Amino acid sequence: MNLFARRIRGFRLVDLVALGLLMVIILGVYLAKTMAGRERAEIASVEKQIGGEKDRIRLLQAEVAHLEQPGRIERLSVTYLGLKPVSVKNEASVDQLIEIAHAGPPPKAVAPSAVAALVNGADVVPGVPPPAPAEAQPVRLAAAQPQAAAQ
Amino acid sequence: MSLGVHSFGRAGLPRWLIEKVWGLEHAFERARASGKVEDDTRLRIFFLLFLFALGFFGLAIGATRSALFSDAARGGGLVAPVVGARGDLVDRNGKLLAADLLHYGLYIDPREIWDPAETRRGLLAALPEVEPDRLERALRGNRRVFVVGALTPEARNRVNDLGLPGVSFEPEQHRVYPLGSTAAHLIGFTDSGGEGLAGAEGAFNSDIHTAAGAAAAPLSIDLRIQGALEDELYKAVAEFQPKGAVGIVTDVHTGEILGLTSWPTFDPNKAGKATDYARLNRAAASVFEMGSTFKGFTVAIGLDTGVATPESTFDATHPFYVGNRAITDYHATHAMLTLVEVFQHSSNIGTARLGEQIGPERMHAYFDRLGLTSPAKVELKESARPLTPRVWNEDAIASTSFGHGINVSPLAVVRAYGALMNGGYLLPLTIHKLEPGAQVTGPRVVSEKTSLQMLSIMRANVTGGSGKSANIPGLSVGGKTGTGDKWDPAARSYSHTKQVSSFAAVFPTTGGPQTRRYFVLVLLDEPHPGKLGVDPTGGIAAAPAAGRVIERIAPFLGVKRQTTLVQAIPVEQPSTEDQGEER
Repeated sequence: MNLFARRIRGFRLVDLVALGLLMVIILGVYLAKTMAGRERAEIASVEKQIGGEKDRIRLLQAEVAHLEQPGRIERLSVTYLGLKPVSVKNEASVDQLIEIAHAGPPPKAVAPSAVAALVNGADVVPGVPPPAPAEAQPVRLAAAQPQAAAQ
Repeated sequence: MSLGVHSFGRAGLPRWLIEKVWGLEHAFERARASGKVEDDTRLRIFFLLFLFALGFFGLAIGATRSALFSDAARGGGLVAPVVGARGDLVDRNGKLLAADLLHYGLYIDPREIWDPAETRRGLLAALPEVEPDRLERALRGNRRVFVVGALTPEARNRVNDLGLPGVSFEPEQHRVYPLGSTAAHLIGFTDSGGEGLAGAEGAFNSDIHTAAGAAAAPLSIDLRIQGALEDELYKAVAEFQPKGAVGIVTDVHTGEILGLTSWPTFDPNKAGKATDYARLNRAAASVFEMGSTFKGFTVAIGLDTGVATPESTFDATHPFYVGNRAITDYHATHAMLTLVEVFQHSSNIGTARLGEQIGPERMHAYFDRLGLTSPAKVELKESARPLTPRVWNEDAIASTSFGHGINVSPLAVVRAYGALMNGGYLLPLTIHKLEPGAQVTGPRVVSEKTSLQMLSIMRANVTGGSGKSANIPGLSVGGKTGTGDKWDPAARSYSHTKQVSSFAAVFPTTGGPQTRRYFVLVLLDEPHPGKLGVDPTGGIAAAPAAGRVIERIAPFLGVKRQTTLVQAIPVEQPSTEDQGEER
């Protein structure tokens, strides 16, 4: 029997097949769009999360830069570690190391270390100005004076 | 004519498709031959339906593909760019100097507020920066208005915790300078609309806008050098209490500004609250009569024109007269001086005599070539125009030969000295980081021989002249002191109590013209006597600070101490007697 003439319950088979195909396609598109919408929402959420993390990273980078202000680092290094710019007397070339080693151990550091004192339980270290506030402050003239005294 | 199946070959898929098409055509022919017209019509309807279905199926595939794999869901294209957004600024090593950070603007809609008194109380407690008058106007209004901007996420959370109706936020980008006042004059600042007004922010405004969201723009400064420069300059300020101060470090071969500071300074995060006095970039926007620092130019011109050699002698036994005007030395030597001794003793008489021999035309021409009669060539918009003599006659030449009668910016001095120290080429200064190995070109203004002679003379001034206090063992520092009396408009004469003290230093002076070499300028405007209680001349006030700066920054610049120089030059604390001749 001709495929085009075959009928099922009065409906042509080809019409039924075409209708079924149409329904499958419509359902497929619907499902695809639904899944795509869900994916899109998830992607947007992740993108937003990434954006938030990026903002947070930038904020932390700025915070690090704020805490690493040269004036603040210098103030803290003087206050807590008794550090100061290296003098020419403390510099040596590689060739001089043997000669220095023969000369014996270097004398103990004169500059008091606030860290060492704190480890030993002392609250106030003689000769060292009181600790700077934890919050970083812009370099100001007033802050330069203790550094000058430390030189 | 009828075409058969075999007319189209026998290969694979084409053959199958052709067979189907012919099968369909034969079905039409059979239907027509059997007289079943309705079947013929149905067949053709079915065929069209099939084609439509095929097209729809293709569209469905396309729609699915675009829904699943398009870029629309990525969000980037949907977010409107933030107006006024600016790129980051970093130093030459990538340290953050300025950045746009997410902040919030606070808005109030009074129509949604139930209890204005509670809203007022809560906001003022949570946000001290809110102006009460502005808040009051917003609460009494009848529409949603902006109240305060640049709120941090923490501040926003504090307000949100209050649960106030009618209070809302909108995100905004706000320019932040995490280093506070460090390098404030060089970095500059922006207005509330995100437009650069001063410093690098103003100089590179359009570039920084373009770079928003892209790579950061690197400036020429090195934060380590900047930190040492500021620290030592502020120590000098603390000791000599000047009304202003300047410190500059440059690479003489590239013109890159590695450090620049101007005191007093300000916090660019609160630039609007700083005074004009603090915001003034004295390195670029102020002009000074530099005094004896200018003698370096006169001596270089004398050497380059062939008017003098380092061994030429000048009569400093008595004052030099220009008309009725007598030019004297601060501490008279009453002796015949060689050119090097004129430089070492900073003799006004000797320099004026040299200027006279050079002549006004050549002096003026060389000052032009050295860029001293025009604003310093640098990206900074605030680069000031110098004040120069109206007429370049003998009197003007005598004055300008030792740094009077001509007012220039510190940056102009740095640029011109760079030409004397780099082999003779006048290069533009820059606050933009150049690529390593970049070759910067400029016009030749003095010969290489003159440049090398000047390096030797500058060195001689530090080992045996007015710049002894800047002598750092092993670093071969050269330099010239300067102490320029300031013009007192009220007295219509030069003041003997107000002066500009400076020191122009270069290191290392050893090596050929291509040796990596750096220039340091320290200037104090109207310093007072320090702990020694003596006249705060350039040798007393500025040279020691310049020496300490050089000692600290040399390791960062890769300038190694030379052991022979360390041994040859004893480490000593210069006395005030050593600087007695300096002026």
